[in-house]
Amino acid sequence: MAGSYDVIVIGGGIIGLSCGYYLTKQGKRVAVIEAGGFADGASGACDDMILFQSKKPGINLELAFESLELYKSLVGELDDSLGFANYGGMVLIQNQQELEVMEEFVTQQQSYGLDVKILDRKEMLRKQPFLSDRFIASTYSPMDSQAYPFAVMHKLSGKGRKLGMQVIHKSPVTGIEKDGNGDYRVSTGQNLTYTAPVVVNATGAWAGKVAALAGAYVPMEPRRGQIIITEKVPAVGETNLWTAKYLVSKLKSGFEIDSTEEEKRLGLGFAFTRTEGDSYLIGSTRESVGYDKRTTMEGIRAIINQAVSIVPVLKDVNFIRAIAGLRPATPDGKMILGEHAGMKGFYTAAGHEGDGISLAPITGKLLADMVCGTTDARLGELSPNRFAKDAKEVS
Amino acid sequence: MAEDKDFFICRCEEVTLREIEQVIDEGYDTLDDVKRITRAGMGLCQGRSCSKVIARIISQKTGKPIEEVLQVSYRFPVRTEKMKALEQGGGSDATDN
Repeated sequence: MAGSYDVIVIGGGIIGLSCGYYLTKQGKRVAVIEAGGFADGASGACDDMILFQSKKPGINLELAFESLELYKSLVGELDDSLGFANYGGMVLIQNQQELEVMEEFVTQQQSYGLDVKILDRKEMLRKQPFLSDRFIASTYSPMDSQAYPFAVMHKLSGKGRKLGMQVIHKSPVTGIEKDGNGDYRVSTGQNLTYTAPVVVNATGAWAGKVAALAGAYVPMEPRRGQIIITEKVPAVGETNLWTAKYLVSKLKSGFEIDSTEEEKRLGLGFAFTRTEGDSYLIGSTRESVGYDKRTTMEGIRAIINQAVSIVPVLKDVNFIRAIAGLRPATPDGKMILGEHAGMKGFYTAAGHEGDGISLAPITGKLLADMVCGTTDARLGELSPNRFAKDAKEVS
Repeated sequence: MAEDKDFFICRCEEVTLREIEQVIDEGYDTLDDVKRITRAGMGLCQGRSCSKVIARIISQKTGKPIEEVLQVSYRFPVRTEKMKALEQGGGSDATDN
C-alpha cells in the first residue's frame, strides 16, 4: 500500500494538474499519478492558445470565457506570469464562400459576448503586412490569448505540492478496483496501490483505456497533431493567425473545400502563434494514426508548404524542432466531465482535443466543485453518461 | 563566500546553473523534465551543447548514473534548417536520419 487519499487523479498533464490543484485548494488530500514524466503527453506537445474564435457558440465558448478569467487570477495565485499574453487573433478568409460562413459565425459569437469582427482586406493587411495576397478578408478578435503550458503545469504542480498535493511520476496505472470499504484501489506498474473514495480519470487520449480498467465506458480517439517550432524571430504581424478553411469545414458539414488528398489525410489546418520565447509555433495536422506520436517528414513538409504559402517570408526562417501530441477527441467534439452513472466517485475529465490549454483551469475548477458537492446544471451536456447507449452497443 | 551559480549553462535560452539546480531540488530528475521547465536545451542548438552538462548536474545531485540520465530520443530535424529547404518536396541531409 502506497497511501490513501481523498482523491486520486490519474494523469499529470495540464488537465490532471488543474483538477489536482483545485481539489487541493478545497482541502482534499490528493495524489496525481502520472504514467510518464513532467508534461510527457499532449500538454507538452501542443501550442499555447486560449482561443475563442474557433469555438462554437455554446458551452465550449462559455467555458472559455470563464477559463480566461481563471487564468488571470492564477497569474497572481501561482505567483508567475505563466506566459500569459493577449496578442489577439485573426482567421484568414480566402474566398466569398468562406466569407459568408465566417460572417454568420462571427454574428453568432458576438451574440455570446465575444469581441470579434470582420476586417476588410486593407484593415487585415495593416495588422498583417506579410500575408500572401490570396486572402480577401479576415476576422479579428482582441480576446484571443495564450499561456505557456509548461509554466502553467509547473506552477500548478508546485503550488499544489506546497498545499499538500502529491505528484507521482513514472507510474502507469495498471488496475482500478473497488475494495471492501467501497474505496477505489489504483495499482501502478511499480506494484504499488493507492486508495481513495474518488478517482478522476484525466488521461486525455488514454481516457478510454483507463476508464475500461474500472469497467467504465469513455469513447476517446487519439488525433495526432504535429507542430513545428521556429528560431527566435522578430514579430511577423500583430496577432496570431488561423485560416478559415479548416474552421469552415468543421462548421458546415458537407461544405466542399478545395483540399488535396494529402491535406485531407493529414487533417491539415493552419495555426500560427508567437511563443513566450519569441519563436513561432506553426501547425498543424489532425491525423488518425492510433497512439503513434512520432513526427513525420510528410507532416512537417505539409505544414511548411502551407505556412510558406500563407506567410512567404517564413521561407528564410529556420525551424528548429517538430513536435507531435495526441489530442483526445470525443465523438461530439465536447469534453467529457462528470461522474459515471452507477460508479459513485469515478469521474472523467478528458476529451478537450485542441482546447486543453484554453479550458484547463475551468475544467479543474468545475471538477473540484462537483467532487465537493456543488452541482452546475449546465454540465449535464458534458457528462460521460451521454454515451451510455453506445457503451451497451459495444459490450 | 556564496558560490557563484548565476552563469549560463544553456546559452541559447540563458538558463543559469542556479535555475537548473532549483528545479532538480523540486524533485524533477530527468533531462526532459528540466528542459521543459527551464527551457534549457530548447533553443537554437536544441541542447546539443548543454544537455551533457545538464545531465551531469542531474546525476551529481540525484546520484542517478549519468548513462541513465542521458537516455533521450532525438527527432528530425537533427539540426536547424531553413523552411525553404523542405518546401515543395525538397529534402536535405539535415532531415534524413
